[in-house]
Amino acid sequence: MTATETAAGATAGTSATARPPLPVKMVIAGGFGVGKTTAVGAISEIEPLTTEAAITEVAAGVDDLTHTPQKSTTTVAMDFGCITIDPTLKLYLFGTPGQERFGFMWDDLVEGAVGALVIVDTRRLDDCFAAVDYFEHKGIPFAVAVNAFDGRVEHTLDEVRWALDVSEGVPVVVFDARETGSVRDALLVVLELALARTEG
Amino acid sequence: MADEIPPPDPSGPEPVGQASAVRPFLLTAGRVADTRGDRAMPVETQVVATAEGLDGLDRLAFERRDIVAVCRLPQSLAEIAARLRLHLNVVRVLAEDLRDEGRLTVHVPDSGVVHDASVLRRVIEGLRAIPDARGVLSDSD
Repeated sequence: MTATETAAGATAGTSATARPPLPVKMVIAGGFGVGKTTAVGAISEIEPLTTEAAITEVAAGVDDLTHTPQKSTTTVAMDFGCITIDPTLKLYLFGTPGQERFGFMWDDLVEGAVGALVIVDTRRLDDCFAAVDYFEHKGIPFAVAVNAFDGRVEHTLDEVRWALDVSEGVPVVVFDARETGSVRDALLVVLELALARTEG
Repeated sequence: MADEIPPPDPSGPEPVGQASAVRPFLLTAGRVADTRGDRAMPVETQVVATAEGLDGLDRLAFERRDIVAVCRLPQSLAEIAARLRLHLNVVRVLAEDLRDEGRLTVHVPDSGVVHDASVLRRVIEGLRAIPDARGVLSDSD
């Protein structure tokens, strides 16, 4: 098997076209129907695409037909979009599916991500617990973004922070998943956090 | 490699634009994505057709041809899977095959480069330039 070229490596003149851009990945996570695809669509330069990806889940036992808690692989739909920063740099936004009763192992999708935005609906806070736990455990920079459905938020940010029990270093912001500028600013919060860590 | 994919039946219908009724891993002769070292290629890995690959399109069929054709412009593995309605892990396997045949180049992003402060700053600058609403320039910048 030949070694896979890295983006930083030479293409040895075999490419028919220009060098591909360096892809930078961010993850948009959260419970079902919380606005992940809306957020991706609000800022992506292409209509969000959907692909099926395999994820590993640790069954909680409730719906597990074998009644044995073990890992299994499930195929889920994953929505994503992208933003061309310049011809050599492209930001990809991947909306990762998350459900409540499972502790997902998103490693296949999340590997290499510079940061994550966990979208929260304050009416269903517990839907995002799995995502918050995951990114804290993996040490991936992330922010919690409360989606203001109809411009309203049911709880204060302090209440959200308390309920999620996130550490002080995790930003909690309110945003509107439908608004380009609002999604942009939420992503910037994550990127500034990631940058601060590199300069730590 | 010894396990070449047998050429598909040329009289069969083209699968383009519709989800294939064929079980995904029939397309890969039962192989799954290379997970040695527990690292499959990241979904944002960039793939580009080579001149050789584009010249040889007529000698490819079905998914393999579609993948090379769609990579005239650089595409991520995820984009290839979405545009061709193929399972991501099928694309991973076929892209590696096509790379080994010299038809594609595969550019796995270097994690160290991606996480470099200078790259993050460029992403931040690029995002800041995006207006509040499409077609309307932001006042804040």
